[in-house]
Amino acid sequence: MGMSSVAQPSPLLERAAVEARYHNVDALYEETRDMRLMGFVLFLLADCILFSSFIFAYLFLRASAPTWPPVVGGTQIGRLDVAFGSLNSIVLFGSGVTMHFALESWKNLKKGAFNFWIITTTLLGVAFLLGQAHEYTSAPAGLSWTTSSFGASYFTLTGLHGFHVFAGVCYLIVLTIQANRGVYTGSKYFGLTAGTLYWHFVDVIWVLLFILFYLW
Amino acid sequence: MDVAIVERGIAFIASIIVGGTAMFQLKNELSTHGLDASATKVLLGLLVIGCFVVLFASINVLGNFAS
Repeated sequence: MGMSSVAQPSPLLERAAVEARYHNVDALYEETRDMRLMGFVLFLLADCILFSSFIFAYLFLRASAPTWPPVVGGTQIGRLDVAFGSLNSIVLFGSGVTMHFALESWKNLKKGAFNFWIITTTLLGVAFLLGQAHEYTSAPAGLSWTTSSFGASYFTLTGLHGFHVFAGVCYLIVLTIQANRGVYTGSKYFGLTAGTLYWHFVDVIWVLLFILFYLW
Repeated sequence: MDVAIVERGIAFIASIIVGGTAMFQLKNELSTHGLDASATKVLLGLLVIGCFVVLFASINVLGNFAS
C-alpha cells in the first residue's frame, strides 16, 4: 500500500483534538496558579535581597562614619524633612490600602469599585513619585550623590525604590487595561493578586527606608 | 501657618485613617488560607507598623532631632 493511501485527519477532527486539550482550562489554571504564585513570591524575596544589600552597605557606611550626617566642606549635612517625608509616606501607605480594596472589589465582582480603587492607587503612586522628586530638588545643602556616603546611599536606595514604584504604576495601568478588556474573570485573576502583592511589597520597603533615612 | 505643621497634621490624621483601615483589612484576612493570603497578612501587618511609625513621626515622638 502506498503512502498516499494513509488517511489524513480531517480539519474538524484536528480542531476537536485542540479543543479537547484546552477543554479543562480551569483545572489547568488551578494547577499552575500556585506555581506562578510561588514564582512571584520568590521574585519578591529576590528583590528583598537586592534592597538588603544596599541597606547593609548603608549601615556599614553609617557605622564607619565619625559623625552622622557626615560633614561636607566643614558643615554637617542637614536632616531630611521629616514632616514632608511623613506626608509622602502616608500617601504611599494609603495606596496600599486602596490597592487591597481594588482586589477585594474584583473578588466581589464589583467592577466599578475596582476601577475606582485601582485608578486611585495609580494616582497615589504618581503623587508619591512627585513628592519624591520634590524631596530630591529640595534636599538639604550638601546632600548630593557625589559629596558623601549619606547622599550616595540616600539617592541610590530611594532611587531604586522610586524605580520600583514607577514600574508598579506602569503595572497598575496594564492591569487596569487588562481587567477592562476581560483578561481576568471572577475566578481567574492571578495578575491582580500579583499586582497587589507587589504594591504591598513596595509599601513595606518604604517603611524601612523612611525609618533609616528620616527618623534614625 | 507653618507648612511643616500642616504637613504633620495631615500625616497624623491620614495615618490614623490608613492604619485603622489596614488593621481592619488585616483582621478580615486572618481567616483566609493559602500562600497569597499568608503573604498579604505579613505585608499588611508591616503596613500597619508603617502607619504607626508615620503617626509617631508626625507628632515628633520619632525623628525629633531638634531636642
